[in-house]
Amino acid sequence: MTDHANDLPEATEHRLEELEHGLFTSDLSVNEFLLVKEAGFHPVGLVMGSSIYHTGIQTRKWSQSQELTKLTEAMYNARELAMNRMEEEAAELGADGVVGVRLDVNYYEWGKDAAEFIAVGTAVKAEDGVSRRNKLGKPFTSDLSGQDFWTLSQTGYAPQGLVMGTCVYHIAHRGLGQTLGTTGQNVELPNFTQALYEARELAMTRMQDESARLGATGVVGVRLEEKSHQWGSHTIEFLALGTAVTKTGEPVTLAKPTTIISLDN
Amino acid sequence: MSVADQSGDARSESFTSGLSVSDFAAVLAMGLEPVGLVQGFCAMQSSSYAVGSLQRNLSPYREARGYVENYQCPHGMVAGEHRMWGQNYEQYWVEETWNQGFASASARMLDEATRLGAVGVMGVVDTQSTLAGAGVTEFHFRGTAVRLAGTDSAPSTPWTTYLSGQRLLKAFEAGFAPVSIVTAVASVRVWAYCITEYLLGGGGISAWSQDASTVEIDQVVRAQSQARALVRASARAQLHGDVLQGVDLIATQHEYEHGDIEIQCLLRGNRARRVGDFVPLRAPDATVRLS
Repeated sequence: MTDHANDLPEATEHRLEELEHGLFTSDLSVNEFLLVKEAGFHPVGLVMGSSIYHTGIQTRKWSQSQELTKLTEAMYNARELAMNRMEEEAAELGADGVVGVRLDVNYYEWGKDAAEFIAVGTAVKAEDGVSRRNKLGKPFTSDLSGQDFWTLSQTGYAPQGLVMGTCVYHIAHRGLGQTLGTTGQNVELPNFTQALYEARELAMTRMQDESARLGATGVVGVRLEEKSHQWGSHTIEFLALGTAVTKTGEPVTLAKPTTIISLDN
Repeated sequence: MSVADQSGDARSESFTSGLSVSDFAAVLAMGLEPVGLVQGFCAMQSSSYAVGSLQRNLSPYREARGYVENYQCPHGMVAGEHRMWGQNYEQYWVEETWNQGFASASARMLDEATRLGAVGVMGVVDTQSTLAGAGVTEFHFRGTAVRLAGTDSAPSTPWTTYLSGQRLLKAFEAGFAPVSIVTAVASVRVWAYCITEYLLGGGGISAWSQDASTVEIDQVVRAQSQARALVRASARAQLHGDVLQGVDLIATQHEYEHGDIEIQCLLRGNRARRVGDFVPLRAPDATVRLS
């Protein structure tokens, strides 16, 4: 399977054909479904993309903090492939976007150093027939829930794409001299602080670069995730994820909140 | 260290925000706009987490400062392993480590916000995690810097608050303005003496009291209440006449070995200042969920 258009498996083509005839599937809850409809969209199908990627290894220097660029590229490309395939499925359905996108990484016993990257979401289409695709002509993607999708539409902003930036970073081990030099003291370790700062900043900057390519006004709901995956405690992946948004120029209809007392348990 | 130098410039084209969409909508309703997700870090070595078990076997720890309380066995010498004395003491070095970690990380977050021309930082989240093995604790603060919509004017020091969205909006409506986040830590070590150690074992109630009634473990209760009192005093010292809102106090207890316990209290809150009259909110509507 390559990263080209229409490289979807045969079974996918069959499933999408059924969806094109009016049946829709969705992992939206009932409340989310209602609010997506309220926002002027209807679901056209559950879409997904996946990529099993060999992340390999990269040599690292014991006493030097550094980005592991090969691993960064692997983690980014694998997610990008999964996202692209999900977008392809959405495009096949004529969707304007995908909401509630979840990006997961799974490891299997049979695949040493390999991981499956999966993107799943619900493709939606505008009911007024006006295209809501992003600047690149692709369906927008977003990890917003149905409720958040509706709320965002009320603020006069529209999602453009789920943007991400990643950085796999090796944090240097401390030498014997450094360790002995601070024994018994409670002190800041500037090398560690600086390394983590740099790694997170790289991830966030890359995420922002993606949003700039979409011509976004901003990114909402940014999450910073950290995982060591299978690399040991000194090698960490920093992943920044958020939904890029643009101002639509449509009237802002923010409802005034109502105070309530719930009578439920 | 020029950690703040790494932020800002490369991320000034568009805004980033850690706010949920609901909180983002509330920010707009308040006449504010997000300018960027800001953050600060500090990795601290936290060694000598206790005076040590050896000390516990010798005599009460005498160099402690702050809260110290000694307990004496009422029985006289019973056996070699009998705990003749016990002690509660404040671990000021732990508190200093955490306070320095909090202060450095939050100051760096504030530096980023100042560089972005923000009036404040809302929705602050702080986490503490063990980094690269034991002995190193990382303090991480992050929040969304905001400015007044349509203006570039900003104070020299932006305010910070854990609140965001509707909760912050309600505080404004009630006449309060955020000043800063407040964090405080208290750490108290318990070295149990014979009675405490016996009661902590859970099986000695009837043997000591000749009946099955439950009894209070005085030494641990004292340590718990003192840790809470210390953390509240530390927070109060940061208020300078303002009020503390939305306080969250988390107490954790870690037993290193039988009768050797560390009690740690972490307090988070929002320092706020009254700037206007209280405007009573509309009476709430009673609701029942259909789901």
